Amino acid sequence: MGESDNKEEKINRSDFMKATIAGIGGLIGIAYGLPAVAYVIGPAAKQGSSDWIQLGSVNKIEMNTPTLFKAVVETQTGWIKSEEEISAYVLTENGQDYIVMSNVCTHLGCRVRWVAEQGEFFCPCHNGVFSRDGSVVSGPPPRPLDRFESKVEAGILYVKRGG
Amino acid sequence: MKKQEQQEYMEKYKKAKAEGVPFFPDIIFKDIVVSLLILIILVLLAYFIGAPVEARANPNDASYTPRPEWYFLFLFQMLKYFPGKLEVVGAMILPTLFIGLLLVLPFLDKSPKRHFLKRPFASLMAVGVLLGIVGLTLLALNAAPTPQTTVVIDKAADLYAKNCANCHGPTIDVPAGVDLHQIIAAGNHQGMPAWGGDLSTDEIDMLVGFILSPNGSALFTRECAGCHKNAIQATGNPIELQRVFDEGKAYPAHKDQDVTDWKKSLNVDEQNALLNFLAAPDGQRLFVINCSGCHGEGIAFKGSKEELRKLIVDGGHQLTMPGWKGTLSTDDLDTLANYVTDPQGYPAGTKLFGIYCATCHGDKVPVAPDKESALTMIGSGGAHITMPVWGDILTSDQVDALVAYTLESGSETGIIVGAKLFAENCTFCHGKYGEGGLNPTFAGDTIAPISSPNYLKTRDDTTIRNIIAEGQTFGMPPFASSYGGTLNDDQIAALVAFIRNWEIIPPIIPDIPATPTANPTATPGTTSPGSGEVSFADQVQPIFQSRCIACHNSSSGQAGFDASTYQAVMTSGDSGPQIVAGDAANSPLITLLQTATGFMPPMGKLSDDDIQIIVEWINAGALDN
Amino acid sequence: MLANIGDWLNERFGWRSVWEAIFLRKIPHVNWLYTLGSATLFVAVNQAITGILLTLYYVPTPDHAYDSVVYITTQLPMGWFIRGLHHWGASAMVILTVAHLLRVFFYGAYKFPREVTWMTGVILLIVVIGFGFTGYLLPWDQRAYWATTVGTRIVGVAPVVGDWLLRVARGGDELSAVTLARFFGTHVWVLPAALIILVGMHLYLVIRNGISAVPGKDE
Repeated sequence: MGESDNKEEKINRSDFMKATIAGIGGLIGIAYGLPAVAYVIGPAAKQGSSDWIQLGSVNKIEMNTPTLFKAVVETQTGWIKSEEEISAYVLTENGQDYIVMSNVCTHLGCRVRWVAEQGEFFCPCHNGVFSRDGSVVSGPPPRPLDRFESKVEAGILYVKRGG
Repeated sequence: MKKQEQQEYMEKYKKAKAEGVPFFPDIIFKDIVVSLLILIILVLLAYFIGAPVEARANPNDASYTPRPEWYFLFLFQMLKYFPGKLEVVGAMILPTLFIGLLLVLPFLDKSPKRHFLKRPFASLMAVGVLLGIVGLTLLALNAAPTPQTTVVIDKAADLYAKNCANCHGPTIDVPAGVDLHQIIAAGNHQGMPAWGGDLSTDEIDMLVGFILSPNGSALFTRECAGCHKNAIQATGNPIELQRVFDEGKAYPAHKDQDVTDWKKSLNVDEQNALLNFLAAPDGQRLFVINCSGCHGEGIAFKGSKEELRKLIVDGGHQLTMPGWKGTLSTDDLDTLANYVTDPQGYPAGTKLFGIYCATCHGDKVPVAPDKESALTMIGSGGAHITMPVWGDILTSDQVDALVAYTLESGSETGIIVGAKLFAENCTFCHGKYGEGGLNPTFAGDTIAPISSPNYLKTRDDTTIRNIIAEGQTFGMPPFASSYGGTLNDDQIAALVAFIRNWEIIPPIIPDIPATPTANPTATPGTTSPGSGEVSFADQVQPIFQSRCIACHNSSSGQAGFDASTYQAVMTSGDSGPQIVAGDAANSPLITLLQTATGFMPPMGKLSDDDIQIIVEWINAGALDN
Repeated sequence: MLANIGDWLNERFGWRSVWEAIFLRKIPHVNWLYTLGSATLFVAVNQAITGILLTLYYVPTPDHAYDSVVYITTQLPMGWFIRGLHHWGASAMVILTVAHLLRVFFYGAYKFPREVTWMTGVILLIVVIGFGFTGYLLPWDQRAYWATTVGTRIVGVAPVVGDWLLRVARGGDELSAVTLARFFGTHVWVLPAALIILVGMHLYLVIRNGISAVPGKDE
């Protein structure tokens, strides 16, 4: 009788210890696992900032002629700060609405140039030609020039990065 | 351990094992509970204290006090007891020996006894080593400066490390009586650069304090730098410093501050070190701060060193002026009274003052409000301004330095003497401030400034000495007695010292227009005269005279160029004519002037207006008008 | 079904006998001080996990070391946590190793038949100290730089070969990019390899010879 009691007690004790080991083990696992995941995916989880970047005063934009703007954007990747230059052509046909186009050719990424005589954008790499508003006229480019989302506040033109 | 004992142990262990518990879960249960406990402690430490990051490593910041991680502290502390050649014992032999002993412990201790009470020797040894390590660690923790104080950088030490330590090593031994401030500011000519241009006067004072009292600098950093970010923010006036010690919390500026009673917390040596740092035992500075208010720039004290020392230390009561009524004639008294009422107006008193008064008054003439009171004062004597009892105020090092300096400056060398000699011998040609000007002995010649930084930087003391001794062309006579002049070697040395001193304290030259402008209607700096209006004689030649002729003249035309006359200007020059009439852009002279580099011209580039005038003149045909 | 798979695998792996040998073996009755060894192992694992995580961002060059450490500590989510655990784990490691050593010493557990276990343990202590010393430089901040400057100088005290040893330790006359790189390499490759081998031996010996019993007063 007493012996079987003792045995039962022993088994209960053993089960309790096993359960505790599993519990604490899980807890420790979580204590390392969750922070580790957050730590590893941290930089990826950070949304690419879509701040408005100041391009310049709208007064400088000639009516009906794409005007090239350059803006320096400071970016920080990890612990390294770098400056990136954004260039964009801005076109307005009525002084109210602005089209902000990337100056990067949609074919292979060369820089397009506005050739005033022809009234067209010309890409020097493979003779891609875009019209004033960025649509493809001839050559290999697969799609019109990329456009930036833009807004005008107090006479200053802003574009959204990555937008 | 014998075979038999080993077998006995194994049997016993087998039995203990059989009576024991299974590894899983019994033992692991304990282990994991302890592990969790440790993890919790680590998390708490990480959360509440975190892992520190200090400032980025700066290999140039030698003032940083290195602290090893805490578990190496005992080793570091131990090294302190093994100085010099013994260091290898503490650093290498003992640790290696200790690790070696640990490693072979099982073979040293082969007895079958296992309970620690059954092996008292080993146990006691272990306890001893343990206590030693803990004790050393505690000692090191006490000795190591806490992080808070290391944040406050010993600025003076920092300055020293950056500027002096490269050549001078960690300390400099300075003989008494050396004017250290002066040496640092002006450099010496064994290759030590002049720091006067790079360091402020305050910084030099700080450096002097550090060199003469490095302990004081450390004490300052510990005791004062919390509030006084710079040593120079605290006062350098020994009287005030003494008050700070004496009055403690009652000192007005320290009233609401949490200050220590330094008189108690610092021992006498430390107090002196601190005072020596703040008011360095540098005779010249001490004299300027403490004595010149009453004594002017120097005292020609003729007595012995001991007498002067006693005079300074005793101060106060020594300072009763004798009544001069019986000693001097009425005429002399009258002259003196006039002199002290208006020194400039009655120069006749200079000599009398020099004989009777300068011993105490130095070269500072006490100015009396009117002749009546002057007569009374001189006649009856008595105490007027009391000299402080410097013995209570200055540290003994400071008094020594002061005595040494006073005697040295009173002797026939030194800057004060040099200044007088300069005024007597040199100002006629070189101007009161060495600014130069038209050469009175050599028509058409201009004397270049000798007080300019350029001039002083490019000539060492020997050169200046030789120039003074041997004279120069253009009318400067030899001054050395050996060349038939009037000055002895000491006097020339004093002159050189005075001239060299301009490098530290440049003379403030009253604004005299450098270029006499003959065209008063032209507004300088705005428009240049139109073509055809520029006159050689009235506008161009004055520029040449003031800026060029010193070097480019008929006798010693540098580069063969002579700027003294129109004819010479148009034709001379080793590389052909320097001026192409009507074409300034192609005239070599203009190119040279516009790109002026190096030593041409010695006083720096000509002003744009001046160059413009010459350009206009050339473009207009370079006429002799 | 599951039992069948288990049997099948056991026939090939023989894991049940391993399990029995390691986990179901009997241990004499011991007290809580006997957890110090496993606690040390736990912290060692903590150091390994957090250390590996730190190398994901840390760059061992003078240009980037400090910036990357600051980045880990201040910018990354839970970076302070990972680095904090690693930093304090280092101290815990030293404390626990020494405490474990003291327990073994005072219980006479280094004696027959566990002499070699003790010796691997002493070498492990040296490895742990090596970890602490090399790791201290890695943040490349003021105290890292200067403490290592002074610490390496101790090597130079050795007679005859001191200067040469100092140059080897630093990879040159002064602390430099070379020093940082070799300290890093030692910290994450050389010492961990040594640690794994030594811990393996240590544990094998512990299991083979069994955990010593608490000695009685008469022993």
